[in-house]
Amino acid sequence: MELESAATKTLTSRERTYVWKRFKKQWPLHVFVGLGMVFLLIFSYTPMFGIIMAFKDYSIVTGIKGIFTSDWVGLRYFEEFVNDYRFVELVRNTLVLSFLKVIFAFPAPILFAILLNEVKNMAFKRFVQTVSYLPHFISWVVVVGIAFSFLSTDIGILNKLLVTIGLIDQPLDILTGANYFWGLAVSSAIWKEMGWWTIIFLASIAGINPALYEAAQIDGAGRLSRIRHITLPGIKGTIVVVLILTIGSILGGGLVGSNFEQAYLLGNDINNSTSEIVQTYAFKVGLADGRFSYAAAIDLIQSVISVILIFSSNTIAKRVSGSSLF
Amino acid sequence: MGITTKQKDGLLDAAIYAILFCIMMATLYPFYYVLMISFNKGTDSLLGGIYLWPRTFTLENYATFLSDPQWFKALFVTVARTGVGTFLGVMFTCLVAYGLSHRDLLFSKGYFTIIIFATYFSGGLIPYYVVLRTLGLLNTFGVYVIPSMLSTFFLLIAVSFFREIPLELKESAFMDGANEFVIFYKIIIPVSMPLIATMSLFMGVGQWNAWLDSAYFVQADSLRTLTFRMMEIINKSNIPIESVGAAASVSGVTNYSLQVTSMVVSIAPIVCVYPFLQKYFVKGIMLGSVKG
Repeated sequence: MELESAATKTLTSRERTYVWKRFKKQWPLHVFVGLGMVFLLIFSYTPMFGIIMAFKDYSIVTGIKGIFTSDWVGLRYFEEFVNDYRFVELVRNTLVLSFLKVIFAFPAPILFAILLNEVKNMAFKRFVQTVSYLPHFISWVVVVGIAFSFLSTDIGILNKLLVTIGLIDQPLDILTGANYFWGLAVSSAIWKEMGWWTIIFLASIAGINPALYEAAQIDGAGRLSRIRHITLPGIKGTIVVVLILTIGSILGGGLVGSNFEQAYLLGNDINNSTSEIVQTYAFKVGLADGRFSYAAAIDLIQSVISVILIFSSNTIAKRVSGSSLF
Repeated sequence: MGITTKQKDGLLDAAIYAILFCIMMATLYPFYYVLMISFNKGTDSLLGGIYLWPRTFTLENYATFLSDPQWFKALFVTVARTGVGTFLGVMFTCLVAYGLSHRDLLFSKGYFTIIIFATYFSGGLIPYYVVLRTLGLLNTFGVYVIPSMLSTFFLLIAVSFFREIPLELKESAFMDGANEFVIFYKIIIPVSMPLIATMSLFMGVGQWNAWLDSAYFVQADSLRTLTFRMMEIINKSNIPIESVGAAASVSGVTNYSLQVTSMVVSIAPIVCVYPFLQKYFVKGIMLGSVKG
């Protein structure tokens, strides 16, 4: 026993000098990496620890230090949020917007990729595809400006056109009507992000063995049945992975445009009853009203739910289809 | 029998082309429409009915836009933050990645754990704001370019890219007495141009389009960005303007025509580089994201 531990000891000390030698040789690299670690400590980890302000009576004038020195108040702010007169509405808006986007915006790029894959004219296919992901690189602010140009009641070209051809009597208040907000948010998300996610699905389709299609054709399979029996099963893995990513980030807006940006930029005083979501509310309560602890508590509730969603969607996907992220 | 299948196929083809054509138009036409209105007289645009080309062609929207010090300043700040922010972001991320790419780096497991944990969890906006405030970054140009210096997403991609670079390149430089920093910027950076192009593009677009930081982390008028001014003008009611300056009050420029012009200015650089850098734009999504 003793002999063995002695042997380990000499080994560790020898190892130690070896480690020291290696370190001396690679120390500049540790300086580079260390700078990155300091950066993460400041901009990632400090805010992460700072979230404890949700359980404290924090005041912004006390700075960072105040987060640690202020008094604990337990779950006071969480209770306050649950009893907030807007609580039910905010949670409903967040959930409805998130789920509508999964239901409509998630399948859109899959369908678009399948349609593109059926096109034999390569130039046309390439052109349509290239155009389709251009809006991904445009700011949401510009997208809102475009929505304004097309949909506003007084100058919106689409509204005017519909009135001119007599389809509607009066311009629709799409941009301000509370009834229209969810439709507006989902369709603008599809307009902006569909083409971008199509890239992944098209790449996945390109990986399918062409021999499968030839064999199916010889067997007399029509176009639709080839899509159903070869294309879709061929990209199943990709669909599952993208779906997990989508559901994991569902409260933030999934992969198709952030809920926050949409709710913030497309929301206004008139459609507020459907456009205000938990995140925009936390943001306004925190930065506009200066109630930092309360806002942090609201934010934290959403983050906890999101983390639970990531892990549960991953587990379900693992059980159902065998593919998962981690 | 054979004919009917063929006919069915042809019909299906026609339907597919029709749908794709509609999608293409729905994507392209808004860009074209905005461009057209920016070249149309502002007061005339408010009457509507312009679909295919400008009715009263004019350059006064652009003239007003560029001669207005507020817009010009906003454009300048946006260009500056895009240039500086992209440069800092790419260089710092690559430097850290270069350190991490060393094959038998000590504590590398610890380093990677710290990085990966940071990609999954964040403290949210409120504590982040407190950090920015404590650092004195609020209301400075630094708030645009410093917090975005390290992208954990591109960091991990850059590490795997640098690991593919042949070791001999590095070793021969070592023999010549070069130190790690010299190797980094004289050898690693030049051979990593495809990676750097992609990173620059994505960080640049992100900087160019950012709006939240200008709206909430900055109060000084001189630090407002193009996206912020655009947000401001979209929220204003669309009446002919007098407040923008003497030149505007006599011309047909309106809030709306200025809004549209600013949108074109914001879109133009992206659309202009788009056809040439297309392959780098696509790379962003394929890199590291989904391996299939």
